[in-house]
Amino acid sequence: MIKRSLFLMMVVCVGIPAQASARISAVGSTTVLPVMSQAAEAYHQTHPDLTITVSGGGSGVGIAAIIQGTAQLGMASRETSPEEQAKLDGKVDNIIVASDAVAVVVSKAVYESGIHQLSMAQIADIYHGKIKNWQQLGGLDKRILVIDKEASRGTRHVFAKAVLGSSHARAEGASIISGSNNEEQMIVSRSDNAIGMLSNAWLNDKVRGVDVLVDGKAIAPTIEHVRDGSYPIARGLHVLVPHTASAATKDFVQFLLSKQGQDIVKKVGYLPVR
Amino acid sequence: MKVFLSLLALPALLLPLACFLYVIIQALPALNWELIVGSDTTGNLFGDAPNAGHGLWSQISGSLLMMALACLLAAPIALSIALFHALWASARQQRLLMMLLQALQGIPPIVYGLCGLIVLVHLLHWGICLAAGGVILAVVILPLLSSNAIHALQRIPVEQTESAKALGLTSAGIIGRVWLPAAWPGMLTGLLLAMARALSETAPVLFTATVFSGVTWPDSIFSPVTSLQTHIFYLAQEGSNQHAVDVAWASATILLGLVVCFSLSARFLRRYEESV
Amino acid sequence: MFVLFWFLGDASWPYWQHFGISSVWAAEWYPYESLYGLLPAIIGTTWAMMIAMMIAVPCGLAAAIVSSEILPVIWQGWMRVGMELLAGIPSVVYGLIGLWVLLPWLQNTFDLLTGHSLLAAGMILSLMILPTIMVMSQDALRMIPTEQREAAMSMGMNWNQRLMRVLLPQAWPGIRSGILLGLGRALGETMAVMLVVGSLDRVPQPIYNILEPAQTLTSRIGREMGEAVFGSMHFSALMACGLVLAVTAICLSLLAQRKLSVVL
Repeated sequence: MIKRSLFLMMVVCVGIPAQASARISAVGSTTVLPVMSQAAEAYHQTHPDLTITVSGGGSGVGIAAIIQGTAQLGMASRETSPEEQAKLDGKVDNIIVASDAVAVVVSKAVYESGIHQLSMAQIADIYHGKIKNWQQLGGLDKRILVIDKEASRGTRHVFAKAVLGSSHARAEGASIISGSNNEEQMIVSRSDNAIGMLSNAWLNDKVRGVDVLVDGKAIAPTIEHVRDGSYPIARGLHVLVPHTASAATKDFVQFLLSKQGQDIVKKVGYLPVR
Repeated sequence: MKVFLSLLALPALLLPLACFLYVIIQALPALNWELIVGSDTTGNLFGDAPNAGHGLWSQISGSLLMMALACLLAAPIALSIALFHALWASARQQRLLMMLLQALQGIPPIVYGLCGLIVLVHLLHWGICLAAGGVILAVVILPLLSSNAIHALQRIPVEQTESAKALGLTSAGIIGRVWLPAAWPGMLTGLLLAMARALSETAPVLFTATVFSGVTWPDSIFSPVTSLQTHIFYLAQEGSNQHAVDVAWASATILLGLVVCFSLSARFLRRYEESV
Repeated sequence: MFVLFWFLGDASWPYWQHFGISSVWAAEWYPYESLYGLLPAIIGTTWAMMIAMMIAVPCGLAAAIVSSEILPVIWQGWMRVGMELLAGIPSVVYGLIGLWVLLPWLQNTFDLLTGHSLLAAGMILSLMILPTIMVMSQDALRMIPTEQREAAMSMGMNWNQRLMRVLLPQAWPGIRSGILLGLGRALGETMAVMLVVGSLDRVPQPIYNILEPAQTLTSRIGREMGEAVFGSMHFSALMACGLVLAVTAICLSLLAQRKLSVVL
């Protein structure tokens, strides 16, 4: 049959390896993803026999993938929890390649109505559902669209730990749950009254970061404040490398920590490790 | 009453065209030849990279590869099921088989994806790869292909089979010389429809076969791919990057184009078969 | 098929064992607190299906009637082509349309916080099942021999009466299976729903509030599939969601077939 031979041809095309290239997959946090993605591209230019595939899914997915051995590199924007550490059993190196700030973001309209800073207690109250209207905070008379994230996302863990007390805390006041950073950014930019949690690299004209009041001082979610440690919701961006990783993988991780890699970190908007 | 009904029917009449046009119009800013054949490994969301371009070829080829693999796996099995149904199954078994196939067709594809995740990715340690995607999609389209093949065989006039038996042909002979030539338009129609279906399934392959970036052409069956469907999914959530959104619409248009190709070919084949 | 069930059953067994069948009614889903209530997702799925039905059935049926009884035959062919094309559109593309067209519209019209809601999911689903219902209804109506229509006219019935008393009852089995098939599709649709429903695992307050973000079974599986560690309780819970979906889908499918075989 014609169709049979056609498909046979296709199978042959698939079966023949294009090049004998090694392949590693990096999975996890969408915060680390831009860095990983661009670094992979740059690394591929100089090391064409290593292909690095990158996917998202969130920090939880990344750590799970490393635990199960389905990926060679895990990306996480949070620390591993005690349960995860138990499962990882010391067989994994946890390397910080960058730092960033988890900004509390609000929609442009909210920012322009005067809300430029919020205290941790106020943010916690919003997420617990105790404050429901921007008017209660000095803004316009509009209901607050509280954007929470999926429970496994690194950004959420860090945010919840700093603001709500524990990384798994419930946010009863949540109006909607988003997934990746991109998705949350889209929801915030579309709305007039949203509040959410995003890495500082995702801030733009429609998505504004508010300053966080710490001890009476308003600290903006900028890289400088991460560097000097004053921003309360800052975190390291981790890459998890199993001890059994190939030399090529470890070489790539070194590339991430090298000047070129760190330049990419800076370009994306995070704080490099040096 | 007529007026009322016509009003109610209006959305159904207008919507197909409206949707199509909308997708195409939205895609126009980004749609160009370079987009289709270019190839880009960073997922082109982070527009500063030097060749954050404009290539969807890896996604297109990924989708097509998975579809091809799925069809390759499912077609022989579907054919055997159809032959079993026609040659060896008793009437009761036939009814049971049809019922089974219909039921399987109704199961949400994501359930297949979930099972594929357990079995292929974890238990068999295939990891996220083209093969897993192919197998899962094959399972998704198998009921469709099988029931189509069965119907195609059923449409062959009984006289043909009887005359073949009278002429002394063996079973294999009957199948090879009488049935297949008569039924192949119908089966091909089913195949084309199944191909269109395999192209559109996203949920099963999202976590079992595809990655976000880094792949241009898979090295082997056991490496991951990117696909148009999942690419649209990732890009759909882009909030601020207008170009990314345009590319999402463009990917949607390309995917639509492919699906329409297959569906229309299936229609033409059906007409041809009916006229023959 | 049995393999499928065996896997689903086996993988979700720990879940059932631990929580018992009553957890289907439990209302809270917080994986980190080991709470795996399925109720919010089940309610969400049910609502989405019902909304989709309420929109798609009248429209689809009306379209079928219009195309087979009112319009000239040429239009029938075109509509058929249009519907088949619509049926072929991948669900992600519907998700894209829903996300970028429907949600802002909903947000503005109903003055909502966000357009993500069960209503959005239902509307997108209705768009997806419209072709199924219309095509099957059209087929059912076309199968009625012309003599019936002529007999009705000779008995003096006007158009309306002919429709209601002669044509529809005869076509009903075909229409019904079309509806059930559409229901099955609406039940299992993942991608489009995932993008527009909001993923908020809470029972809508009050229960008929379809304008708030919520969660469906398929959306939950889709979102949490990647992260549940293989073998953990979370994974088993997701498997249980899958099992519920599969069982419901098969029931719907069997229902659709039985009605058909009763006629044939």
